[in-house]
Amino acid sequence: MKLAVKLAIRNLLGAGIRTWLNVIVLSFSFVIIIWVKGVMVGWDHQSKTDMKNWEIGNGQYWISSYDPYDPFTLTDSHGPVPPEFADEIKQGEMEPFLISQGTIYPQGRIQPIRLKGINPGQKIFLLPSQKLDTAVTDAIPSFIGATMAKNTGLKKGDRMTVQWRDKNGAFDAADILITEIFSVSVPAVDNGQIYIPLEKLQSMLGLPGEATLLTYSDPDMIRPDVTGWTHKSFSELTVQVDELIKMKSSGQSVLYMVLLLLAMLAIFDTQVLSIFRRQKEIGTYVALGYTRQQVVGLFTVEGTMYAVLAALLSAAYGIPLLAWQAKTGWTMPMDTSEFGLAIAQTLYPVYTLGLVISTVTLVTLTTCVVSYWPSRRIAKMNPTEALRGKIQ
Amino acid sequence: MEKSPIIKIENLVKKFPMGKSEFTALNGIGLTLNQGEFAGLVGPSGSGKTTLLNIIGSLDVPSSGEVTVLNHSISNLSTREAARLRKENLGFIFQSYNLFAVHTVFENVEFPLLLLNYSFQDRRRMVLEALEWVGLTDKIRSKPPQLSGGECQRVAIARAMVKKPNLVLADEPTANLDAANSHHILETMENLNRELKTTFLFATHDDKVIRYLRRKVSLADGKVIDDIVIAN
Repeated sequence: MKLAVKLAIRNLLGAGIRTWLNVIVLSFSFVIIIWVKGVMVGWDHQSKTDMKNWEIGNGQYWISSYDPYDPFTLTDSHGPVPPEFADEIKQGEMEPFLISQGTIYPQGRIQPIRLKGINPGQKIFLLPSQKLDTAVTDAIPSFIGATMAKNTGLKKGDRMTVQWRDKNGAFDAADILITEIFSVSVPAVDNGQIYIPLEKLQSMLGLPGEATLLTYSDPDMIRPDVTGWTHKSFSELTVQVDELIKMKSSGQSVLYMVLLLLAMLAIFDTQVLSIFRRQKEIGTYVALGYTRQQVVGLFTVEGTMYAVLAALLSAAYGIPLLAWQAKTGWTMPMDTSEFGLAIAQTLYPVYTLGLVISTVTLVTLTTCVVSYWPSRRIAKMNPTEALRGKIQ
Repeated sequence: MEKSPIIKIENLVKKFPMGKSEFTALNGIGLTLNQGEFAGLVGPSGSGKTTLLNIIGSLDVPSSGEVTVLNHSISNLSTREAARLRKENLGFIFQSYNLFAVHTVFENVEFPLLLLNYSFQDRRRMVLEALEWVGLTDKIRSKPPQLSGGECQRVAIARAMVKKPNLVLADEPTANLDAANSHHILETMENLNRELKTTFLFATHDDKVIRYLRRKVSLADGKVIDDIVIAN
């Protein structure tokens, strides 16, 4: 094996431009596969971090009837905050949210929205809830996301009438004042959402001390089961992101399979050509004391060495390139706020050691198989005919 | 002093399939070659010289008969054993040199020693010694495409001789060389034969080679028709 590696290196380096063309093609595959996968890991990391910071904390309790995808459940999706969580809420490690349906009329159009009651002093989310703590008396202080502001034409300082139904179904209306507009990559926090003080919303709905969901910051605390409330762990709340990224990764896999296929095609072609062109050399190896199987081994190692050289070349230009990408990120050419996904405008690829090792292993093993495949032909060669270069 | 036989061939027949019939390339060959001989298989194209050389070199097997090379029966050798016999005891010189084009002269000559697991120091010493025999120490870093035909064949001789094998098989070694280069490499081989007592067996129909031979085995239609020992 050691000898095969030594000879393979000599043969490859001696072959000059042919070797380097294959190595360059293969190294592109290495770098692009790692970059694409890195973007996926970065997206996963970023979307979960953003969801944690802006929407779900480290887990939630939902009132049992709450279904975020069914607005008709919202009317009944509220209940008294369980006394079991009173201490945690007092310490600011759990925050109640009350959610209700409402309607606004931007530029004369009717638009359903969700009114979300949030504690102005909360510390769990990055939402600018402190902006709700104002002395305004003739309007309800509120803040909205940038996409919502764009869609409704609302700006900071604007007023807008909001209509809602209280717990008895009676319609009521009041003015809201936009005190802040925030930017976020999590659509569920932005699109169609208006944030107002929790106590104000409880009072508007006639539901004092009630909430729709509770978000906690400490994932390790052991909490009792509470009747009427359903616990949703962080992983349960992010399952859709996982599925989405899995689906996207499968799509991206097609891209790097094509890249890998092109690189493998180049290597397969080189191997087939080598075996035909290097018949005399093969015969000479046998005449000098190699068995045909050893020559098969040599050619397989030679083919596999393309992957090793490609990995080294990739490291030379790929490490600085990928490190630069991880630092500056990849800014998407179109506006991502309307994608409906938790996706930032700029994605920062994350490269793990496992990602690099798995990619290098995958490419090297594939190269090894592709190199071995045509090399098997050598085992069937008649050495005397190979020596004369007479095999067709 | 009685010389020990290095090659012993009895009633060798080699047939090749040719469509539905068979072509008999060697037909009842009997031959014994002793250590230190400088002999040649002589005959026109198609007489069976190369086929016989390939069988002696364990690159091919007899259809029938017995071929013993250095006490190894060629018919009974496994692929691995045959490779070992070639690796340890035989040297090959080919008509078209068969050097590794991408390797340097040093690396080409070093190759048989790599197979035999010699240390780097030993390999270096032996390669330089072999290149000195053939007068190519100044071409150590050159690659075959940079050498003339004569130089290439001298590298091939150095590669065949570097491990000091018992037997060197040379198939038309001068076919691609001019007269001056042919004499040069034949003198080199003759010197090595005398100094190292290496047995040389040629397959040739070149008069330039035949003049150097001390034994001439003539073949025609796969049979030995003449076997002459030429006095020095």
